[in-house]
Amino acid sequence: MIIKKGSFVIEGLENVQINIGRIVEHGHEAGSEVEGPTPRPEIISLRDWDYRLLDRYNPVYTPTSDMCDYCTYGKCDLTGNKEGACGIDLEGQSARQALITSIMGAACHTAHGRHLLNYLIKKYGEDHPIDVGPSNLKAPLTETIMGIQPVTIGDFLPVLDYVEEQLTQLTAAANTGQEGAARDFESKALHAGMLDLLGMEVADIIQISCMGLPKSDEKTPMAEIGMGILDTQKPVVICVGHNIAAPAYILDYMDREGLFDKIEIAGLCCTAHDMTRYNKTAKVIGTMSKELKYIRSGIPDVLVTDEQCVRADILKEAKRLHIPVIATNEKITYGLPDRSNDSVDAIIDDLVSGKHAGALILDLEKVGDLVPKLAMKMGPIRKAKGLTALPDEDEFKRLVAKCTKCLQCTRDCPQGLPIADAMVAAVSGDLAPFEILHDKCVGCGRCDYSCPVDIPVLNVIEKASQRVIREERGKVRIGRGQIGDPEIREEGRNLVLGTTPGVLAFVGCGNYPDGTRDVYDVVEEMLQRSYIIVSSGCAAMDIGMYKDKEGKTLYERYPGRFIKGNLLNTGSCVSNAHIAATTIKVASIFAGRKTKGNWEEIADYVLNRIGAVGVAWGAYSQKAFAIATGCNRLGIPVVAGPHGTKYRRAFIGKPYRKENWNILDARDGSVVNVEPAPEHLLITAGTKEELMPLLAKLCFRPSDNSLGRAIKLTHYIELSEKYLKKMPDDWHTYVRSEADLPVAKREQLIKLLEGKGWKIDWDKKKITEGPLRKVDVSFQPTNVPRLCKGGK
Amino acid sequence: MTSAVKAIDTTRQAVPFDTGNIPGPKMAKAVMPSVAGKMLAKAKRPLLIVGSEVHDRDVLERAVAIGQTGVQIAAVGNAYTSLGDKGLDVHYENMHALASYLCDPGWPGFDGKGGYDLVAFFGITYYYASQAISAIKNFSGIKVISMDRYYHPNADMSFGNLKNDVFIAALDEIIAELRKDKQ
Ligand code: SF4
Ligand code: SF4
Repeated sequence: MIIKKGSFVIEGLENVQINIGRIVEHGHEAGSEVEGPTPRPEIISLRDWDYRLLDRYNPVYTPTSDMCDYCTYGKCDLTGNKEGACGIDLEGQSARQALITSIMGAACHTAHGRHLLNYLIKKYGEDHPIDVGPSNLKAPLTETIMGIQPVTIGDFLPVLDYVEEQLTQLTAAANTGQEGAARDFESKALHAGMLDLLGMEVADIIQISCMGLPKSDEKTPMAEIGMGILDTQKPVVICVGHNIAAPAYILDYMDREGLFDKIEIAGLCCTAHDMTRYNKTAKVIGTMSKELKYIRSGIPDVLVTDEQCVRADILKEAKRLHIPVIATNEKITYGLPDRSNDSVDAIIDDLVSGKHAGALILDLEKVGDLVPKLAMKMGPIRKAKGLTALPDEDEFKRLVAKCTKCLQCTRDCPQGLPIADAMVAAVSGDLAPFEILHDKCVGCGRCDYSCPVDIPVLNVIEKASQRVIREERGKVRIGRGQIGDPEIREEGRNLVLGTTPGVLAFVGCGNYPDGTRDVYDVVEEMLQRSYIIVSSGCAAMDIGMYKDKEGKTLYERYPGRFIKGNLLNTGSCVSNAHIAATTIKVASIFAGRKTKGNWEEIADYVLNRIGAVGVAWGAYSQKAFAIATGCNRLGIPVVAGPHGTKYRRAFIGKPYRKENWNILDARDGSVVNVEPAPEHLLITAGTKEELMPLLAKLCFRPSDNSLGRAIKLTHYIELSEKYLKKMPDDWHTYVRSEADLPVAKREQLIKLLEGKGWKIDWDKKKITEGPLRKVDVSFQPTNVPRLCKGGK
Repeated sequence: MTSAVKAIDTTRQAVPFDTGNIPGPKMAKAVMPSVAGKMLAKAKRPLLIVGSEVHDRDVLERAVAIGQTGVQIAAVGNAYTSLGDKGLDVHYENMHALASYLCDPGWPGFDGKGGYDLVAFFGITYYYASQAISAIKNFSGIKVISMDRYYHPNADMSFGNLKNDVFIAALDEIIAELRKDKQ
């Protein structure tokens, strides 16, 4: 008999009603097939692993404030690591902030997943099967953390219950009078980071499974991207945020009604990625940095918001230009009237007349019906009025001439941009400096508030940059979702042995230190060196913004398979989960490691054997910090741009403390002192020149074979010589024998080693003394004593 | 570079260059270049950190001149590309890692002779420098002097926000102090 959900009455027992809720099938639930010691880990379950990481990668605190004002004892001055009234010192407070930041990020992705799960279960039912493409390991993070193998989307209900419960426990630990030790705040932050990865995985798997998003497809089509791609004569709908639920209804309606050649529809930030994954006709304007710039341009006729990365002033800005805002998610409501139960016509009337600046509509079907109709009405009205915040030519000239060069705008600008110099150049008709600023400017609008002579600085920058904005037209390969098991089978060996120099994941937001071009330059250099480049979110967008001499973007030049020298876009912010999960897949599929409930062993494998590094060059949000922290707990190092120091905490290794680099050989439990690989777990770089050799270095792993080590060393040395004009000081640390040296430079490098006091047998061209350790192809590096032979 | 050094006032405009960069009650004392120069000259183990804004010819010349007086230099970011071939005691390091090492009393320094008692810096992206030295300020006993053209509240001592010509003149005054000390 097949038991189904529902209410049943038993014949002859009409007074008895049996309600069947969730059906627990074999294989769905924790307990049935758990393979490791920590299914559904509690706050404390993985603390030993965290301590191992923290002992080697010491937290480094760079406070933005020396004060704490969390409770009414304060404000407390914690300068110099003093204690505040509650007993917490600055180290503890900084670690507490790291925890809170991770919790915020994890909650954001998890709430996104919860919103989608409730909505998709309502629409498709709990029994809708998970389908992510050609994979047996469909939900690697869920398996590793929860110890279950989900089969249907309903199987994710207990997963999100678990994440939400853990996040509540962690939030409680941050209250004054709770946790006090920096080390344990950090362990908890790592826990929150891991939960974040899980929340993201749920969100993306269910939308892939239910909404027809690409399933591990290496050949997804290209989407157009840029501020110059839309036909602005047509009505324009812009969706802002991260959650595809509402935009999907709009796209469906437009499809049904054949409106794609009458209305332009595009997205800003990660919603854009998911819109193109849902319907390849949709377009991408760009990252959050383009949000204010695009609104001020006056091009959008309707703005639709969902959640995350939506500017807090969007309604105020839109209202000035009579752009109605349709809010579709209960997390962002701007004080708008809830019109969910009103008729479409009535809502449209109020918005067109300007009676209301926007509407909160939580009935998504209504949103789908209303937005295209609203755009068709608003478009002609707004275009006839020529509504824009940008000054006209005369006004522009008047404004730039007004500048007193006081530099107040530069002092308020997060990028410290030389705005006054550009004003001076513009007075004499030279707009080039402004065009450069347009790319470096993150579109925050702080300069507008600071100018004492009321120059609307951002509008001036944008007006001056119209020529480059019109040319801003790139291509981004539509997000593919997971990396499929067959690709892992093909590539896993190269990664673990090091013959593919590394996987570099370009993720995160657009708060770059020096414009969007850096990401393109770094990705191009590393692709030419055969690294696998995986991307997601805003970084994936900016990679597609530049073209070579033939007019081709990187996505058009490099294919999208998970093999060396390829460029992959997994999708939106929540697709980051697949990037982290790829390392679990390598451990499981290539090395046969058990996954279910086995976090520590998997993370230990990743840390010691898989040369994967995350790059969050423009990270700004709490979400990005949570993702990085989750990756760190999984053994993946992350490098952020210089703004990342404002996250206030990094995990930096100390190569000179030899005792920190003792690991075990799992064959017999013997202690081996190894090279610092990977040297750091979370660090920033100041410039792209510094970033590239650092990335190459962070790909070293103790498990590299000699061929792999030689390849990695080649890139480390070459990138350092090319971009920092020097041999790296520590290159020899990574040499275990002459076979580790790049063949083309072997003799020259051996000479240098001799100069460092190493002993060389020149007849045999062999190193006889000097290296920290020998190459041992059977070495099984581990940081976990119980994983050693005979270990408990 | 001018050899005649005119005295200039570097203590004006001693407010955080990034308007919002107010760390707490302890903010850097505004300092005159002669004082900064003397402190650098008298320090037992000084380290000058120079960053990616050093490539401008005027600034670079001054960094080299300071290095030529024997002060050890940490070139962070991409500064090494301009400083590496000048025959100085200069070492590349990542600024974030350097801040961490400086807070570790067990760090052997660049030359194995131990940690530093005074760190001076200029030419580093403002917010990046500010964050890195907030670690040194709060978690080490090392004195920090900002010799940059911006007021850095997290240092122990700092110039105010300076116009470029004043900044260059201030560096010249420091160089003069260092040379005086060597004689
Ligand atoms: S809008 Fe641009 S120029 Fe203005 S403060 Fe922000 S980043 Fe700087
Ligand atoms: S704040 Fe205004 S007046 Fe001052 S430099 Fe900037 S644009 Fe010019």
